[in-house]
Amino acid sequence: MKYGPIVFLAAFFALSTSWFGFVLKPQADLGRAQQETNVVSSLLYPQPRPGQARQGAEVYRADGCFYCHSQQVGQTGVACDVVMTSPGTNLTAAAEAVVKANPMLASANLTEFLSKLPATVLKNITRDQADAALKLLKAPDMKVEVHIVPTGPDITRGWGRRHNVAADYVYDWPVMLGSQRVGPDLANVGARLPDANWQLLHLYSPQAQVKGSTMPSFRFLFETRKIGRVPATDALQLTGDQAPPAGYEVVPKPEAHELVAYLLSLNSDAPLYEEPFTTPAPPPAQTNSIAAK
Amino acid sequence: MNPEPTHSQQHTDANAAEPAVPMWLIGLMMVLLLLGAIYFDNNSGWFDTNVYAPFHNTAELERYQLPSAGNEQVVLGKRLFEANCALCHNTDGMGKVGQAPPLAGSEWVNAKSSYRVTHIPQFGLMGPVTVKGQEYNLNMAPMGAQYTPDELAAVLTYVRQAWGNNAPAVTAEQVSKVRSELSSHPQQYTADELKKLPE
Repeated sequence: MKYGPIVFLAAFFALSTSWFGFVLKPQADLGRAQQETNVVSSLLYPQPRPGQARQGAEVYRADGCFYCHSQQVGQTGVACDVVMTSPGTNLTAAAEAVVKANPMLASANLTEFLSKLPATVLKNITRDQADAALKLLKAPDMKVEVHIVPTGPDITRGWGRRHNVAADYVYDWPVMLGSQRVGPDLANVGARLPDANWQLLHLYSPQAQVKGSTMPSFRFLFETRKIGRVPATDALQLTGDQAPPAGYEVVPKPEAHELVAYLLSLNSDAPLYEEPFTTPAPPPAQTNSIAAK
Repeated sequence: MNPEPTHSQQHTDANAAEPAVPMWLIGLMMVLLLLGAIYFDNNSGWFDTNVYAPFHNTAELERYQLPSAGNEQVVLGKRLFEANCALCHNTDGMGKVGQAPPLAGSEWVNAKSSYRVTHIPQFGLMGPVTVKGQEYNLNMAPMGAQYTPDELAAVLTYVRQAWGNNAPAVTAEQVSKVRSELSSHPQQYTADELKKLPE
């Protein structure tokens, strides 16, 4: 083979380049990633999961939750809102400045606008426009803030407030990012649905909690057994056709509690340097669990 | 006389004049390379681990940082203080018996000018010193000499503004000024020497 060495060198070059690019470089960049600082609270983020949640990650893995659920919120854009938190001492000057920054407000009732604080002067603009507006919004003692609003389909769905970043997975192994979205993204399920009881009921009977859900029931994480002398404290409060026969109760197995602990620990809602945001936290989803105690 | 070139020779020469790779292909490659470069510039974030979509580079990311809740200087100062100074002065700035006098409410710390107090971490302090009406006779090493002017200014600012202290911030220039006036001191300052310094 006349070109043997050249073919070898070419193949070696191609393979080693991709190894450097896909293995070595990411490992050098992120292999020693550590906790970061929440830019608002200055607390370290993320915190290691508690033991029960770590075991729950194994249940999540064993039951293949990642086949249908991703753990990665995407973000396609970022917008700015200019918000006035205090009109200052000179209301006339403040009103003039507000109209200068946003002529659309000229027809609005400015007295009312200035009294309802915080008042959004401009919404959904670029950083350059926000900086230009800040230059116009000058009045004695007037206080103006620029809010950073991440945007994107996932964020509109309420799955999270920002793009997920590498730091979110520092304590995960393996990282169960998921590639399919048969079900909703779970990167922030601990923030969205923080009710452990609702989570248990949902695992037992998804359709009873979410109409039209295609999630299979995970009844094997529960045990239907005869009520002993004292009913179990964590027995599910089931009604209707869900209810077990008289004298029986449905009790979550340890795996169910672990899985729920893991789900509640999924919360990447911290503003970080990489993905800053100031959007307010949405209220936790209304979980009218039938067993609301 | 040279013989006329034969037909077959003409054919070979004509072939040699044609480049091995046609010009249009080179042109196409150039265009693709350019498009690739533009795409790379827009989407790579220059492989910075801190840059995620929708940001393109750190400079852009910096523009979107939140107005820091705590002053950046104070945050740095707090970290350095708690790593080094708090061993003796305690994290609440109340000092420790037999180790260090309090900084919270100290008249040395809260002086209007930071000039004198900068000398203490820079050159150390020994001998009797009166703080909040109580006399201490301890020995502090020049703990702050290791810091850059920015860092020492941050620590001093933190100390002057934490735990109810309310004195103006210290700038790196002010620290540099103290350092440039006196590169080293034979031994730690004493309280009396500090009092001889201009305010």
